[in-house]
Amino acid sequence: MRSELHYDAVVIGAGTAGLVAGARLAEGGARVCVLAKGIGSTHLAPATIDVLGYAPDRVVSPSGVLPEFIAAHPGHPYAALGVDAIAEAARWLQSRVESGPLAGYRYLGDLDRNYLLPTAVGALRPSAIVPETMAAGDSADLERACVVGTRMLRDFHPALCASNLSRLGVPARSVEADIELERADQNALGLARHFDDPGWRAAFAGRLALKLQADERVGLPAVLGVRDPHGAWSDLEHRLGRQVFEIPTLPPSVPGMRLYEILRAALRAAGGRLVLGAEVISSERDGSRLSSVATHSAGHETRYAAPWFVLASGGFNSGAIELDSHWVTHERVLGLSLRGLPAEGEPRFLGDYLAEQPMSQVGVAVDGELRAEGAENVLVAGAALPGAVPWREGCGEGIALASGSHAAQLVLARSGAPAGAAA
Amino acid sequence: MATLSTDVLVIGGGATGAGVAWDAALRGYDVVLADRFDLAEGTSGRFHGLLHSGGRYAVKDPHAAEECIHENRILRNIAADCIEDIGGFFVTTPFDDPEYADKFMAGCRATGVDCEEIDPAQALREEPRLNPGISRVFRVPDGNIDVWKTVWAMARGAQERGARILPYHAVVAIHREGDVVTGARLRGHATGEELDVEARVTVNASGAWAGQVAEMAGIEGVRVLPGRGIMIAMNHRLVNTCINRCQMPTDGDIIVPMRTVCIIGTTDEHTEDPDDHHVPLAEVDQMLDDGEKLVPGFREARALRVWTGVRPLFEDAKASDTQTRDVTRAHAMLDHAERDGVTGFVTITGGKLTTFRLMAEDTMTAVSRHLGDERPCLTKTEPLPGSEDGATYTLGERLQRKEKNLVDEQIICECELVPRWKLEQAIQRRATTNLDDIRRLLRLAMGPCQGGFCIYRAAGILHGLDGLSAEQADDSLLDFLKERWKGTWPILYGDQLRQARLDDWIFQGVLDVEHLPANQPEAVAT
Amino acid sequence: MSTGAGTTPIDDLLRGSIDHCVKCTICESQCPVSNVTPLFPGPKYAGPQAERYRVADEPSVEWSVDYCSGCGICSQSCPQGVKIAEVNAQARNKLKKQKGYPLRDRIITRPTWLGRAGGGPMAPLANLTIDFKPFRIIGEKLLKVHRDAPAPEFARHRFSSWFKKHPSPPTGKKIVYFHNCGTEYYEPWEGQKVVQILEHNGFEVVVPKQDCCGLPLQSSGLFDDARKVVLKLARALVPYVRDDPDTLIVGNATSCTLMLKREAREILSLEHDPDLKLVSERTYDLCELLLELHDRGELKTDFQPVNEHIFYHAPCQQQGHFIGKPALDLFALIPGLEVTEGNARCCGIAGTYGLKVEKYDIAQKVGADLFGQIRGSGAAEVACDSETCRWQITHATGHKSVHPIDYLHRAYGL
Repeated sequence: MRSELHYDAVVIGAGTAGLVAGARLAEGGARVCVLAKGIGSTHLAPATIDVLGYAPDRVVSPSGVLPEFIAAHPGHPYAALGVDAIAEAARWLQSRVESGPLAGYRYLGDLDRNYLLPTAVGALRPSAIVPETMAAGDSADLERACVVGTRMLRDFHPALCASNLSRLGVPARSVEADIELERADQNALGLARHFDDPGWRAAFAGRLALKLQADERVGLPAVLGVRDPHGAWSDLEHRLGRQVFEIPTLPPSVPGMRLYEILRAALRAAGGRLVLGAEVISSERDGSRLSSVATHSAGHETRYAAPWFVLASGGFNSGAIELDSHWVTHERVLGLSLRGLPAEGEPRFLGDYLAEQPMSQVGVAVDGELRAEGAENVLVAGAALPGAVPWREGCGEGIALASGSHAAQLVLARSGAPAGAAA
Repeated sequence: MATLSTDVLVIGGGATGAGVAWDAALRGYDVVLADRFDLAEGTSGRFHGLLHSGGRYAVKDPHAAEECIHENRILRNIAADCIEDIGGFFVTTPFDDPEYADKFMAGCRATGVDCEEIDPAQALREEPRLNPGISRVFRVPDGNIDVWKTVWAMARGAQERGARILPYHAVVAIHREGDVVTGARLRGHATGEELDVEARVTVNASGAWAGQVAEMAGIEGVRVLPGRGIMIAMNHRLVNTCINRCQMPTDGDIIVPMRTVCIIGTTDEHTEDPDDHHVPLAEVDQMLDDGEKLVPGFREARALRVWTGVRPLFEDAKASDTQTRDVTRAHAMLDHAERDGVTGFVTITGGKLTTFRLMAEDTMTAVSRHLGDERPCLTKTEPLPGSEDGATYTLGERLQRKEKNLVDEQIICECELVPRWKLEQAIQRRATTNLDDIRRLLRLAMGPCQGGFCIYRAAGILHGLDGLSAEQADDSLLDFLKERWKGTWPILYGDQLRQARLDDWIFQGVLDVEHLPANQPEAVAT
Repeated sequence: MSTGAGTTPIDDLLRGSIDHCVKCTICESQCPVSNVTPLFPGPKYAGPQAERYRVADEPSVEWSVDYCSGCGICSQSCPQGVKIAEVNAQARNKLKKQKGYPLRDRIITRPTWLGRAGGGPMAPLANLTIDFKPFRIIGEKLLKVHRDAPAPEFARHRFSSWFKKHPSPPTGKKIVYFHNCGTEYYEPWEGQKVVQILEHNGFEVVVPKQDCCGLPLQSSGLFDDARKVVLKLARALVPYVRDDPDTLIVGNATSCTLMLKREAREILSLEHDPDLKLVSERTYDLCELLLELHDRGELKTDFQPVNEHIFYHAPCQQQGHFIGKPALDLFALIPGLEVTEGNARCCGIAGTYGLKVEKYDIAQKVGADLFGQIRGSGAAEVACDSETCRWQITHATGHKSVHPIDYLHRAYGL
C-alpha cells in the first residue's frame, strides 16, 4: 500500500523559517504539515531577531540602512522581500510571543534601532528585536554592569566577558555566584530549570544581593527560566532592586527553546501538524511542479502530497545543502539547482579564517518571488536561500521570519485559501 | 644577559632531542633542551603515530626493518603508557602486486619482524570495514605511539633529574671559538629576551632544520632534504588495527588508528623549505582515493583535519630532487670532530620516529666520549615517567576515568574528555597562553567539533587563572581559531563543513569574536 | 585489534552515523532522563561521544549508559541524523553481557512467561500478589522490582481465546492483527475493540499464533534472546503477507510495532533477515492506518458525538514511528470530543525501565511534567497509544487511561 497523506501545503524544516511559514499558513486556513528531520536552528541561536547588524560596518538603524543595503546587494533575500515585509513579519512574531504559552514574555524593539548587547565573550552585538530579558544589557544606556556567573556553568565566563566589555567602554566587573548544581557538567538548560523555581530564585537572589554594589545592572547567562522567563526575570529584578539582563551563550540556547515553544504552539493552535524525525528522502514531480515528498518513516516511507511546498531545510549546517568529497555541491532534499557556487577552478575556501569565504553565500536558486528555479510550487525560506552570510551580517532571523512569512502569504494568495488572520 | 652553563645543550625538542635529553639526564649529565616553538611541534608532532613493526621496510630496507622491530620491543617496555597495542595488518588489495606478499613474508623472516599470515576472512571479521577484495593478510606487531605524551614524559623525566627544558627559545647564534663550538645564544619567544648557554657539547637534533642549524656553526654540507607529506585524521576509528598496503612503500598506503581518530597518510614531495606546510589539494584527493582502496566508503566518512609533516632525509650520496622517498630512512649521526674538525658539536638527523631512542643513544655515545667519561646508556630499561607499571594505553582510559568521576568532574573538551582540573594544571605548569600548546598536551579541541565548544571555555579558564589579561585571552582564542582553520579548510566537505558552519554561527554569530576589542572597527553605519 | 561476533554492516550504519554529530546539544536538551538525574550524562555523551572510545573487542568501561531509558527522543530530535538511542542500546548490551544479567532482567523482560503464569484461572491469585504490599516488598528485595512500580492486573481470559470464538466474517480484504503481549494477557478488551473497528471498516481480521516482539529483552540488553524472540515472531507473521502485496500487519501497541518496523533491524543488527524486512515494511500502527484510509476516503466516518474532554499523550515510542500524531487527526473526526494535546516528552516508564528499583524514582521524575499537565488540564481521561504508559499514567495521576481507538469505538457505537 502506498502510504500517502494530502495537505494544502507541506513545509520542510522546523527551524525558525519553517515554523513561521507553517504557523502562518495554518492561521490562514491552510491544512499544513511541517516535516522535520529534527529540531532546528532555534535551539542553537541566541533567539534575538537580528535584522541587519553589519553592512559591513556596524548598523545603528536597520530601517535607515536597509534601502541602501538592498540596492547594493540585489541577490540578497532582502532584495526580494523588501523592508516592509521584514517589519510586518517581526510584528507578527512579537504578537505571537505575547499571546503565546509563556505568560508575560515579550520581545522589545523595532527595525528603527539596533540594541547593542553583550555577548558571552564580552563583545557587543547589534540586534533589532530582543527578548525583554536581554534588553537591559543595551550598551547605549548601560552605565555599569556586574556580570554574574558560576564555576558550575562551564559555558559562561563572566570575568572575560566583563573585561572585554570594559575595554569596549562599558564599565563592568564580574562576580561568581555560589550555586550548587546536581552535576559539574551542567549546561544552561539545567540552570534555567532552577530559575523557573521561585524558591530557588529567592535563595539565589538573597545570596547574590550581598555581593552587588549600587548602580550596577546585573548580567547573567541566558538561563532566566524555560517555562516562565517573564516571571523569573521580573522576580529577580524585584528582589535585586535593579535591572537584570541575560546574555546568550553556548548552546543549548534557552531563549531559543522558548522561541521554539512559542512558534510550535502557534502552529498547533492554528491546527498545523508537526512531524519530527521525518527526513525527506525523495520527491515526485509532475512537470515543473513538485507533487509529493516521501519521508523516512519507520518501516516504510510515508508520502506527503500537496499543491504547495515550502523548503526551509537550512543550508550547509543542516546538511540539506552538501559539498561532497569530490567537491560537488548538492541540494539534497529536492535536488534543486544552487546559486552562488564558486566558478570552476576558483577557490572554495580562503586561508584567512575571518575573511568572507567563497562558499558562504551558496543557496537554492530562486526567482524574484523566492520560488525555486525549476519547481514553481516550491517556496524557499530561511538559511536555504542564497545571497546572504547571516552569521556575519547579523540577519539570520530577519531572513527566516520574512521569508517564512512571505512563503505563507504567497501560497495562501495563490491557492485561494481563506485570507490569513491579520498580523 | 643571563647565561646558563651545562654539559649538553640539545637544540631541537622533537622525539630525538627529547630522547637525547632523557638519555643524558639518566647518565647524570646536566642538560639544557631548547626548541624554537613548543616541544614536538616540528616533524615529530606531525606524523601519523605509527610504531613500526618494521614490516614496511622488510623488503626495501632490511637494516631499517631490523632497527624498527628491535626498538619497537624496547619502547613497549619503557614507554608503555604512550603506546597502544593495536597490532597491524599488511593486506594485499586488488590494487597491489600479489607477488609482493611472498617477498614480504620472506623479508620479515630475514629481519626478525614477527609476521603471521592469516585468512582474509578472519581479518574481515576483526576489521569489517576493510576492502572485502583483500587476498592475503599478514599480522605484524605494529602499535601506535602518542608522540606528545612520549616527548613530554621524557622532558619531565629529564627535568626531574635537573635538566632545563626551554620551549619557545630559538637559537639565534651558535658560539664557536676557532674549531670549538662552545654553546649558543637563545631568544625567548614570549619576551624577546636573549640568553647564552655555555655547553661542553652542543647537539644539533633539529631534524629537518639540521642543515640550517649546522650552518649557524659554520659547518657546510649537512644536506637534509625535506620531504613533505600530508596526513588526514578521520573523525572516528574506521579500523582499530593499523592497516598497511602489502607492497613497496608508496603514497597513502597506511591507516593508523590513533586515540579517537584514525589517520591516513602520506605523500612525499620534495620541498626546499622545512617550514613549508601548505596542503596541496590534489594530495587531499589522492589520500581520499587511497583511503577508498583500503576502506570502501572512506569518502563518506568524516575528515577532521589535515596537516603536513616534513621528513628529514639526510643525503650522503646523490639523490633526485623530487622523489625523496628513496633516500635512506636510516638515521645519520654526524660527529663533526671527525667529519669537519669542529669539536663540541654533533648532529643527529634523518631516521624515523620509531627509532628515536636508538638515535638518541647513538648520539649520546659520541657525546659521552667527547665529555671524556663514557657513561652507560640506561634508556633501554628505564621506564618513562608514567609508564612504570608497563601497562600499554587503552582507548577507553579517558572514558573510564570520567565514568569514575561522573558527577563531580567538569569536562571542558567533551569530544576528548579533558577535565577542567587537567586543563588548569597544564596551563599553570606550562605557563603558556597558547591554546595550541595546550591542545598538543591534552588533545584539547582535537575531536569532531574542533574547539567549537571548548575553546571559548578554555579561553575563559585561561583568563581566570592569575595574570592573564582579556587582551591575551582574546588573542589566544583568535589565534587558535586561525591556526585551526589552516588544517580545516582543505578537507572541508560533508560533515565537517556542517560542523564548521555551526562553529561559525557560534563564534561569529553568538559570540561575535570578530568584534572583540582588538578587532573592533572604527566605522559605524547609521 | 577489533571486533568479533555480532559486527555486521549495520553496526557500521549506526557507528557511521556518529560522524554526523556536530555536538550541537539539541539531543541533550530533549533527553527526559538526563534532565532529571545526573546518573545519566545525556545522549550526546553516551552516544556519539563515547562511541569514539569504544573498541569492539575491548571490555566496556562505562556504567552510566545503563541509565538511558531507550525512549529514542534523542534520535527523533537530532537534526543531523545521528542514531543516538540505537548506539546507546548496543553499548548497553555490551555492558550487560559483561556484567551479567540480574534475575529480574531475565523475568520481567518476558511478558509471555509472566502472562502465561499469571493469566487465566490463576489471575485472581496473581493479581492479589501484585496488589498486596507485603508481597511487593518481598518482590522488591528478591527481584529488585520497585514495590510501587505500576503493575497491571492479569486478565481472566486471553485475547486470542476470545478471537478464536469470534472469527471475522470473510470479506476478502484480509488484515493481520499483531496484538502484542499487553493486549493478550492484560487488556484483551482493547484487542476486541481493534477487531471490531477493523471489521466495521470491511476488513477480515486474521490473528496468527504469535508471541512477544522481544522489545523488553532488547531494552534490558539481552540481545541474543531478543533476536530469537523477534525472529520467531517474524516467521509467524510473514506467511500471511508474503503472497499478497496488499495485506498489511496492524498493531495497537506503538512500542511493539516500532520494534517490528525498525528497532529490531537497527539495534539487533537484523537488517539482512528477509522475513523481518518484509514484516517491517508491512507493519502499520493502527491510528496510522486509519488516518491513511481516511485520507483516501476509505474510512467509515459514521461517528456519533462523544462529549468528553480528554488529554492525549503521544508516547515517545509512538513519536519514534516518525509519523507525527495521527490519533489527533482521528479525534478531530469525532463530534463533541475536546482534546488537550500534551506537550511532555515521556511518561517515564520506558517499558520496563521504570519498574526497576534503581530507576523507579528517575522514572517518576521524568513523568512529573506530564502528570502535572494532566492534572492541570481538567480532562477526565487520558488517551495514550502504549499500554505501559497508560499504566504509568494511571498509577501516578489516578486518571483512567485508554488507547485512542477507544473513542473511535465509542463513536462508532460498536
